[in-house]
Amino acid sequence: MKYGTTVLDDIGNAHPRKNLRLREKGVLEEKLKQADKSERAAIRAELKALPKKSDHPYEKDLRAVRDQEKKLLQGTKDRRRKSLSEIKDTDPKIRSWLLEAAESEERYRFYEQHQDLSYDFELEYKKNFDIADQLPEAAAERRALLDELAEAETDLQKANSEDHATAKADFEEFRAQRIAERDEQKARLKQMRRDGMISAKALQNERKMTDLAADEDIKSKKRSLPPAFTKDRVRNIRHKLKTEAVKKEKLLNADISDLRRRTPTETDKRIPWISWLTILLPGLGQLIIGQRLKSIFFFLGSLYIYLIAIPYSLGYGNYRGDGIAGLFSLAEGGARLDRSIIFMIEGVIAVILLVLALLLFYFSFRDVHRNEKKEIRGIRLNNWFETRSSLRRDGFPFIVSAPAALVTIFIVALPIAVTMLISFTNYDPTHQSKFVWHGLVNFKQIVAGQGIAGGPFWLITGWTIVWTLLATSLAIFIGFTLALLVNQDRVLGKRFFRTTYLLPWAVPAFITIMFFSILFSPQGPLTIALNNLLGNTKPADMLNIKYTSWGTRIVLIILQGWLGSSYIFLLSTGILQGISKDLYEAAEIDGATGFQQTRHITIPLLLYQTAPLMIGQYTFNFNNFSIIYLFNGGGPFEPSKYGNMAGTTDILISYIYKLTIQNQYQGIGSAITVVVSMFIMFVTWIGFSRTKSFKEEKL
Amino acid sequence: MSRKKTKNDALYLSDRQPLTTAKLISLIISYILLIFWAFVILWPLAQIVMSSFNGNQGSYISIGGEYKFSLKHFTYLFNETYFWNWVLNTIVVAVATALLTLLIVSFTGYAYSRFRFSGRKASLMTIMLLQTVPTFAGITAFYTLHSIVAAVIPGFTRQLFLILIYAGGGIASNTFILKGYIDGVSTELDDAARIDGCGNLQVYRLIIMPIARPMLAIIALWSFIGPFLDYMMPSILLNDPKSYTLATGLHTLINDQYNMQQPAFAAGGLLTAIPIVILFIALQKELVSGLSSGAVKG
Repeated sequence: MKYGTTVLDDIGNAHPRKNLRLREKGVLEEKLKQADKSERAAIRAELKALPKKSDHPYEKDLRAVRDQEKKLLQGTKDRRRKSLSEIKDTDPKIRSWLLEAAESEERYRFYEQHQDLSYDFELEYKKNFDIADQLPEAAAERRALLDELAEAETDLQKANSEDHATAKADFEEFRAQRIAERDEQKARLKQMRRDGMISAKALQNERKMTDLAADEDIKSKKRSLPPAFTKDRVRNIRHKLKTEAVKKEKLLNADISDLRRRTPTETDKRIPWISWLTILLPGLGQLIIGQRLKSIFFFLGSLYIYLIAIPYSLGYGNYRGDGIAGLFSLAEGGARLDRSIIFMIEGVIAVILLVLALLLFYFSFRDVHRNEKKEIRGIRLNNWFETRSSLRRDGFPFIVSAPAALVTIFIVALPIAVTMLISFTNYDPTHQSKFVWHGLVNFKQIVAGQGIAGGPFWLITGWTIVWTLLATSLAIFIGFTLALLVNQDRVLGKRFFRTTYLLPWAVPAFITIMFFSILFSPQGPLTIALNNLLGNTKPADMLNIKYTSWGTRIVLIILQGWLGSSYIFLLSTGILQGISKDLYEAAEIDGATGFQQTRHITIPLLLYQTAPLMIGQYTFNFNNFSIIYLFNGGGPFEPSKYGNMAGTTDILISYIYKLTIQNQYQGIGSAITVVVSMFIMFVTWIGFSRTKSFKEEKL
Repeated sequence: MSRKKTKNDALYLSDRQPLTTAKLISLIISYILLIFWAFVILWPLAQIVMSSFNGNQGSYISIGGEYKFSLKHFTYLFNETYFWNWVLNTIVVAVATALLTLLIVSFTGYAYSRFRFSGRKASLMTIMLLQTVPTFAGITAFYTLHSIVAAVIPGFTRQLFLILIYAGGGIASNTFILKGYIDGVSTELDDAARIDGCGNLQVYRLIIMPIARPMLAIIALWSFIGPFLDYMMPSILLNDPKSYTLATGLHTLINDQYNMQQPAFAAGGLLTAIPIVILFIALQKELVSGLSSGAVKG
């Protein structure tokens, strides 16, 4: 970067350089830029011939003033002692303010003479001037408040000791009067009601309002009794004392930071090299460029990096794993007790910790780098007050979201990552303790429908899709129909029907599913009833729902229709009630029949508003583990087609459950999970991208 | 010519159109359908109630037959099973889940609604996508993850882990719901509070929380109900019958021949369902609105 003849402040205004040495350089540099070839050599020579930093007359002047400044600062202690003895006030805050003001006065007089020499002096001058200007005023205000407080406190004492018989009597009289007035008003209201001038509801509201008004009047009168009133005053002043001081200091700090923003700085530096040098130790850079408190936080980050993240990923401090290396070896050739899965999980944890560490490196580097660049341009760095307030503003969302992020990373993301990794291994019953990377074998097996575990994949997928479509559509159909029927004008007992239809949703599904499972069991009441209906009396002909796959399938779909219709019913009822009556009236005038109205008004509106929710219903049933597992355990079994792992009514999720939890085919189970999850993500994404909030970019 | 006034000549005053025969028939059909479906819903539920009180049953439920009122299934449930343990476990898990969710989500909802920070949209989208992956995707890892954490932090039970999973699983969708709700509240109140000197946390505590209370209540309610309804996660994670929640616990009464006690299951189911049904009926509007604003989650 070139020095130039001007420096920028934070607002973007250019200021002429005050550092004459840098200014000379800047002038020559500019000349060099505009000059043609012949002149360039001469200008370069001139640049070289410029006096060195230590010899430059400007620097000599500056040094002289700096020496004086040093002396001034050394005298601070004596001056303080002197002014302390002069300050008469006893309040500690006022004392410290006045002390500060006195010192600042001394200083600004000194800097005033030198403010043309350097922007640093100019800033000091303005800053101290502000302090000397504002603090005595603040102290005076505080003194006034303190005096007022003392006065109010004596008043309070007096008020407490005095007898307020007359005031109290006054108050009692007022109260009695007000109550009588209130009762009179109420009586009038009652009369109005009797005459039929107002409704019962209005009477109720008016009475409430009269009561409240009277109550409020009495209370406010009570507050103005001498003791209560003075007490309030004392409290008021105390509060003011507390907040005013903070406010005043904040105000002063804000003024100072404003000055800093408007007063540039000058430096010899042209390349932001500190950020590069200190990249490996977050915090050091901040310390060097002078942001001390900030550096503490970054040093804490360094501690995390060098004491937690890096050792952990190298395998130190692991539970039983081997850091990142464990991710590759998966405990291969390790001791007998070493388990691959633990190595894998700890490897993933190590990766997460390392990513966090890298982020820390990056943020620290960026912070220092930006600040250095700013300084080169002439902008002053933030002081702690500014850093803190910008942290409060910009850092707040990060700080409060941190717990959510932690939980999401370790409880949501980590298990998903591990599952994805497992899908590439041969984690199965024979490789429980030690498994190895296995490439795409699991996925190939699923796609080809091979192997013990992968065999029935396509059969199950087919049934899952049929199940999802039929069960959800049935529930939607029933729910919609019921809502349309109940919401007809002439239907009576709406409340009863609505409450009844809510029940399947309100009763926990696992209870009803288990109960239906009992009813349909071989000796169950519904099985017997069904057979009586069909006329099967001989035990040999008895139809048993749970032993036939199509029977179980049909019952499952109907059962889900029963369970799921409730929610659809509730939802569409809400929407139906929201459709404006005008639409129907208009349609009627145009001659539409009731059926046409339903077809062309109600159903389109209903579908339009519930579409995203319906997609949710489909994905819900796609993953509806409980109904499949609790009703018939995925059965009945048909080993010739489905193998031993799955039943004929298993859907993908219950199949995954059986593979991973019951039969320990974690590898292939995970592979299926990955496929299923991708599919669901895709469907949800489609549903989500159509919602209003997403389209309007309101996210 | 004067005509006698008959009843038919009375002015037709209703807003509705007169009831024609066709409409009458369709109304009758509607009633038949409605009453039929009401019966379809009420019959099985009534059977749960009846069989839990029917003393004339052994370990299997029988319907029809002689009815004898008795509380013996309840006594069995209370004395022979870990029913009270299950109730307590479920309540502990539910309350803890609701509290944790509220604590986390109320902050993130506020942050995502009121602050513009880098990575805001990206992070929300990432979590949304991650969350569409069903919770069961992690089942293989949950076991081992728990054993690792339990080794580092003794006393970290499987139930605690379950709470974390429930709460963690709901963060994104709940944040999204709450954010939408807070977005709907004008920022004028915040601005006024800030001018009066409130910091971020004060705005959160004094302005946002009171306003968002209805939505927070819904979120808390759903997080609270969730553990009552879920069967899968506890059946995977919990291994000791004493530590079961209601869903897994009651399932033990019907899933193997030796412990079979179907009427006791009905009794337990009844006791579980009653408070939840009351809750749902009383708060149906709120619950549905919570569900529909959270429609994004599958």
